[in-house]
Amino acid sequence: MAILEIQDLTAGYGNGDIIKNISFSLNKGEFLSVLGRNGSGKSTMIKAIQGLLMDISGKILLDGKEMSAHKPRELAQKMAYVPQMFEVSFEFTVEEIILMGRYVHQGKFTCITAADKSIIEEIMDLTETTRLKNKKIAHLSGGERQRVFIARALAQDTPLLFLDEPSAHLDINYQVEIYQILKRLQEEKNKTILTAEHNINLAVPYSQRLLFLQNGGIHSLGPPSELITKQNIQEVFHTDVDVRKNLHSGLPEISLTFKKQE
Amino acid sequence: MTPQKKRIRLLSILLFLLAAGLYVSLVKGSVKTSFIDLWNFLVHSDQTNAQIFIHLRFSRALLSFLVGACLSLSGAILQGYFQNPMAGPFVVGVSSGASFGAVLALILGVNMSFWGFSMQNVFAFGSGLSIVSLVYILSQRKGTFKVETLLLTGIAAGALASSLTSFLIFFKSESFEQAVFWLLGSFHLADWNHFRVIFPTFIFCFFISQWLAKDMNLLVMGDEIAQSLGCSVSRTRKIFLVVSTLLASSSVSVSGIVGFVGLIIPHWVRLLIGPDHRYLFFSSSIMGGVFLMFCDLLARTILSGSELPIGIITAAVGAPFFIYLLNQRR
Repeated sequence: MAILEIQDLTAGYGNGDIIKNISFSLNKGEFLSVLGRNGSGKSTMIKAIQGLLMDISGKILLDGKEMSAHKPRELAQKMAYVPQMFEVSFEFTVEEIILMGRYVHQGKFTCITAADKSIIEEIMDLTETTRLKNKKIAHLSGGERQRVFIARALAQDTPLLFLDEPSAHLDINYQVEIYQILKRLQEEKNKTILTAEHNINLAVPYSQRLLFLQNGGIHSLGPPSELITKQNIQEVFHTDVDVRKNLHSGLPEISLTFKKQE
Repeated sequence: MTPQKKRIRLLSILLFLLAAGLYVSLVKGSVKTSFIDLWNFLVHSDQTNAQIFIHLRFSRALLSFLVGACLSLSGAILQGYFQNPMAGPFVVGVSSGASFGAVLALILGVNMSFWGFSMQNVFAFGSGLSIVSLVYILSQRKGTFKVETLLLTGIAAGALASSLTSFLIFFKSESFEQAVFWLLGSFHLADWNHFRVIFPTFIFCFFISQWLAKDMNLLVMGDEIAQSLGCSVSRTRKIFLVVSTLLASSSVSVSGIVGFVGLIIPHWVRLLIGPDHRYLFFSSSIMGGVFLMFCDLLARTILSGSELPIGIITAAVGAPFFIYLLNQRR
């Protein structure tokens, strides 16, 4: 069943369309990764389908109901967003940042409840941010920050999760770990997950479907086993790769080819 | 120290300073009074100095506290609003705009009033709001603000408003005292009528900002992220812009432009207890009030026989701090 249905979506930032005529639907409990070159519109698409952009046309249905009919508060109870790395102007602590994910479940004047506390403790444990909780966000490394923002999105406790390059700035151990966490959330809590990802080999084993984005439009959409071909990668990324089977998963993976310089 | 302990410590220090400031404000002045006189007045209702204690000194201390609280709360809101610790009602041009509006109303001689609010308040609010909206529109790009553009537009708009104010004053009234009042600020015209405007304004604005304090925490993250966390961005922004302008313009109506309070106090409080606006709004208000009460005490006692404009005192303290901030960001 589709939790999110996108029809003919066109969007930008007020000076020309970045993504054009995108239609697809996201199934409940699915893990979908969006791949494409830098500037192909991955981030724009992730923002647009959450209703975060003003300059937008087309139709987005969330649980069968028009997106614009939802208030921001209702939307934030249904979907959470991990943006690409950004600077926080003021020196909030890690715990304060993660607690912001709970605001949407609280009243205007109420403080954190015992339930909020136990939820964020569990999440900080999961994302290994517990020992950072009293540190200021500006003093963290890129990877630590990334885990904090993932923790905040998880604190929102939503059925839908959107992550814009969650593996950026992370060492490979954390890259795998974050994807393992996402996988677990998908399997145990039936969450629907959409990521923009630049690491193809990381996206393949975790995603049910891949979406190749090219110049703001959909190039192709389907399961990794069908989509990861030498020709597709050549078309989308303009790069020569070899495609082979991963020894453990049996799924396709790419490796770079080296041309000897003459 | 845990954040909560820091907040409690700051609050206790501020309450102590508030009590001390009130006491000194009541005892010090051109007419010599002592602790004994105050004691006799408070405990034995000795009416000899009642006029001085209540109508001159207490009203003035209270008004300077409220003006300081309004300016600091306005500054705390604007700094969050522009995601920038260098914003403030003076820097962004609201104060100068409000001052222009007040002088314009004065010179046009519009004298209507309703529920204690005069046309002067309305004009001050209107022209303050126009200036800050203009600065907002000019310095915004895709929901974030460039520091340079914000500061430059704010300062330019403020300077323009101030020069118009000076023009009006010199053209129409030729009163040097009035010019000093509107451009440098003073409490020497303070009376209980002012209290009827600024007290309800402060309480109303404080309640609204406390109600939206969590949303302000989200706005600081940027509009898109704030919205994804459940904040109704454009509605919240509109409310905060109106509230911060109300605060700044009502304080200008009481005491003219008092610079730098709204810039340094919230910044200072943030360094002490962190940026969570649920506590920042409250603590900034108290600290701003206490700070301005002491500044006014200085302004009226530092020279015997005459009074300094309070803007001179706050600028003397504030300008070096502002330079220090600019230096730190590099």
